[in-house]
Order: sequence, then C-alpha cells, then structure tokens
Amino acid sequence: MKDLLIASGQDGREKALSRFLAKLLDVGAVDALVVPVEAAPGVITHVLAKDPRLVEEAARPLAPVMPSSAATLVSEVVRKRPSGRVAALLRPCEARALVELVKLKQAAPENVVAIGMDCAGTYDPVAYRQAAGNVDGLEFREACRVCQNPAPLEDGLPGITLGLIGLDDSEGIVMSVHERLDPAVAAVMEELGLASGEGAGRKRREAVQALVQERQEACDAFLKGARRGAATAEGPDPAAPGVSGVPGVPGIGAFARELAACTGCHNCRVACPVCYCRECVFDTDTFEHETGQFLRWAGRKGALKMPSETMLYHLTRMNHMSLSCVGCGQCEQACPAHLPIFRLFAMASRRTQELFGYVPGRSLDDELPFTTFREQELEPR
Amino acid sequence: MGAGEEFEPRIVAFLCNWCTYTGADLAGVSRLQYPPNVRPIRVMCSGSVDPMYILKALLDGADGVLVGGCHPGDCHYVNGNYKARRRLGVLGAILDEFGIDSRRVWFRFISASEGALFAQTVRDMTAALKAMGPNPARALWLA
Repeated sequence: MKDLLIASGQDGREKALSRFLAKLLDVGAVDALVVPVEAAPGVITHVLAKDPRLVEEAARPLAPVMPSSAATLVSEVVRKRPSGRVAALLRPCEARALVELVKLKQAAPENVVAIGMDCAGTYDPVAYRQAAGNVDGLEFREACRVCQNPAPLEDGLPGITLGLIGLDDSEGIVMSVHERLDPAVAAVMEELGLASGEGAGRKRREAVQALVQERQEACDAFLKGARRGAATAEGPDPAAPGVSGVPGVPGIGAFARELAACTGCHNCRVACPVCYCRECVFDTDTFEHETGQFLRWAGRKGALKMPSETMLYHLTRMNHMSLSCVGCGQCEQACPAHLPIFRLFAMASRRTQELFGYVPGRSLDDELPFTTFREQELEPR
Repeated sequence: MGAGEEFEPRIVAFLCNWCTYTGADLAGVSRLQYPPNVRPIRVMCSGSVDPMYILKALLDGADGVLVGGCHPGDCHYVNGNYKARRRLGVLGAILDEFGIDSRRVWFRFISASEGALFAQTVRDMTAALKAMGPNPARALWLA
C-alpha cells in the first residue's frame, strides 16, 4: 500500500478531506457517501450524501463525536444488495462493527467502499453539543480512552485508509488504497493526482504504534480495576449474596446493585451496532406473564425488582453479542441512566473472545464462533 | 430451609428429546434410584437451549442447571450438541466473570441407552451442589 498525501489547504485538513470526499462523488468513483455533517454548532449527524457540493460545504469528517455507529447506518442502506457503490467514512470501531454485520448477513459488502480513518477518540455527543463544538475541558469517552484500535485494521472491508494520528492540521492526511479495492475505484483514486506521502506515512505509523502501546496499558489497568468497581458499588446488600465462589470476583449481588438503576429502555441494544435481531426476544410475548406469575416470583424472594428481568436482559445480551463486541461504547453513550455498560461488556467480551481467540471485525475470513465448532474443544468431549 | 434441615439443591435439567430425555426415561423404567432434586424439561436439541433460559433459571434461584445432549456424532440435527458446547462455554465465562459459579451449570453427553449414566450424573451433580451450598441469587430480589 502506497502512502499518498491529502495536503492541507489554507483552511486546514478537515476542509481538504471534505474536498477529497466531494471529489470521489464528483468523478463518479462512488455513487453515495455516508458522512457526518454539522447541523448546528456542535450538532453532528450523519447523512447519505449524493451532492458533492453539500459534502464540500457541510461535511464534518473529523468531528470528534460518534452520534451513532456508522456501521448501523451503512447496514441499513446496503442490507439488500445495493445497486450503487456506497462509500462510508468509518472510525476503526465502526469499520470493525460493519465487518461483523457483514458476517451476520446484515450488510452486503460487494459495493461498499470503506473509508477507514484513524480515531484518537470521541467525546460524548451531548457534552459536545452543549459546548457548541468547543472541546476545551472535555474528556474522551471511557471506551475511547481504553481503545486499542485507534487505526483501521488492514484486513477489514476493502477501501482506503486515512491516516491522521501523529500529524498536525498543517501536515495533512496520509491516504492509502487497499490492494483488494475494486480496480475501477482504485484507478479513479490514482487519477486524483495526489503527491507521495511517504514521510508523513512513516511519521504516522510511529505515532500509531506509540498510541497503541499507551492504550494497551490503559486497557489493562482498566480491566484490572473493572471488578473492583463492582465490588465497591455503594449501598446495602439486601440479599447478602455472599461470595461468588470464584476467587476475586464479587458476588452477583454487586453487579445487580450496579445495574439496579436500569430503566429497561433497551437503548443500549438499539445503539449497539452488532445487536442485529429484527425482533428481540425481550420484545416478544415470552416476557408477557399472568399476574399470578409475577406474584409467585415476588413471593419467592420477598420482592420482584421492577422493571423486571434487568440482570437477565444484560447477561443475555452479553451471551448473544459479546463475541462480536467491538468496544465502541455506544451502549453506554445511549444509556439515560449512565450505567457502566461498556465496562461490564468489556469484562464479558474479553473472556468470551479469548475463549475462541476471536477478534471481532478483524477479517471477513474469521468465522463467527457461534456458526462453527471444532471436534476437540471445551468440555465435555 | 429450616434449622437442621439439609440443603436440597434444585436442579433444572434441559434434556434433548433424542438422547438424554430418553436416557432419563430409561433410568425411570429401569427403577434406578437417583435424587429427586432434578426438574427435567424436554427440549428438541441441546443446541436449542438459549443461554437465556439457563440464566433465567439461575437468577430465579435454581442451584444448578443440567443440559443433556447426544454424544458427538449422534446429534439428530447433525451438530447441535457441538454448538451447545460453544454456547455453554461462553455462558460459563460470563457467569464466572459476574459472580455466579459456572460449576453450577453442567453439560453432559448422555445417550438414550445410558439410563445408568443419567442417574449417576444426577447423583454426582446433587452432591456437588450440596457441597457448594445454595445459589447466592436464590434470595437476590434485585436480580
């Protein structure tokens, strides 16, 4: 992959990138583009753009917020085999989620051009909006602070990679075209006449390496403290569940207390880019019960938490989706009760992904662990 | 459970129609003795047992959950038992992480002709759960 340079103009590299993206539409390299725009100061949303002028004027490709995962949006557009070529600007977590959605048969990858970009982190969209886009004093979201993938992975969906990390605004953006990209699109890229970005490319790779190292340490520390976070959750333990039987793990009661403020809105499920069922079991009549059933449950333990099935919902979602969890933190960002859902999912997904050595979003060639098996593995045999 | 009464674990068993349920039936008609702590639920395949049902049982206070399926190669649906093994592996990892001992969930291959093995499995599981004590979620009304 050759490094090319999208040089910053006088108005900075974000504008230069917008012009580059507009150009892709203009010359017909792609038919449409999923890209963030700024609707009002600090208010970011995505659009599916057709008009290059609109992209040049309103696009905010580097806006440091992720109002929703673009993977979900792209999947909505290309769930059926698309008739046109759709490009999408994707942060690394969005690109990985899209790979998972392709494997889950929720997106047809044939005509998608993935424009993967470096992402050092994003801010909470509400805080960003309230600050009218002024990020002074804001902190990256927790999911971003411990994210070990600030740069796009090489074997994801074919497209191009935009390198930003380690380069300042005047140094521009390093662009490289994937070898597996449709030659017709790649040829158009060649014709854009971009200069070589070899020096900037080297500088960026070194910076990415250093950031990844830093993030790995941050993530290790975060996961080490994750269980402690649960253990020290405040409040009396009404059921005194005692120890879990597993060394170092607080009992299930500690997690129940952490999640007790859950209102059951299921926003985490809606925001999750990989939670894909068209109808979730928790929305079905499986969970519509007779009055007597509720009273029996309440009678058995003395009381039934309402809304009910809080733990069952979160633990079930972990069972169904943690293998594909890309750690984007959209679940927590969407939670009106500000519950630590990202942390709990990170704890689960680390364990479950370890079990099969599965790295979600790494490659379309890695099989989803639940769709396959080995003769000799796990217990019993 | 009053004072002096021995703790009797409650086991919910999801048994595959083709093998383990029939094995349990054989244990019955063979008049094999085993503890009455198990509440069998017949399912079409161990691969059809969504972890949600196991979680529901555990969070509602079951002390253990037994999933019984066909031996490798014998699955009526070709490979449901292998898929169940993966699902239960994931479930176990999550249970341990969040403070429910995964040793409360047993997955066993028991064929239709292994009535004795079914009876022995229930004996072993009942004893193991007695040693572990009641499921901490049994009285947890927050769950």
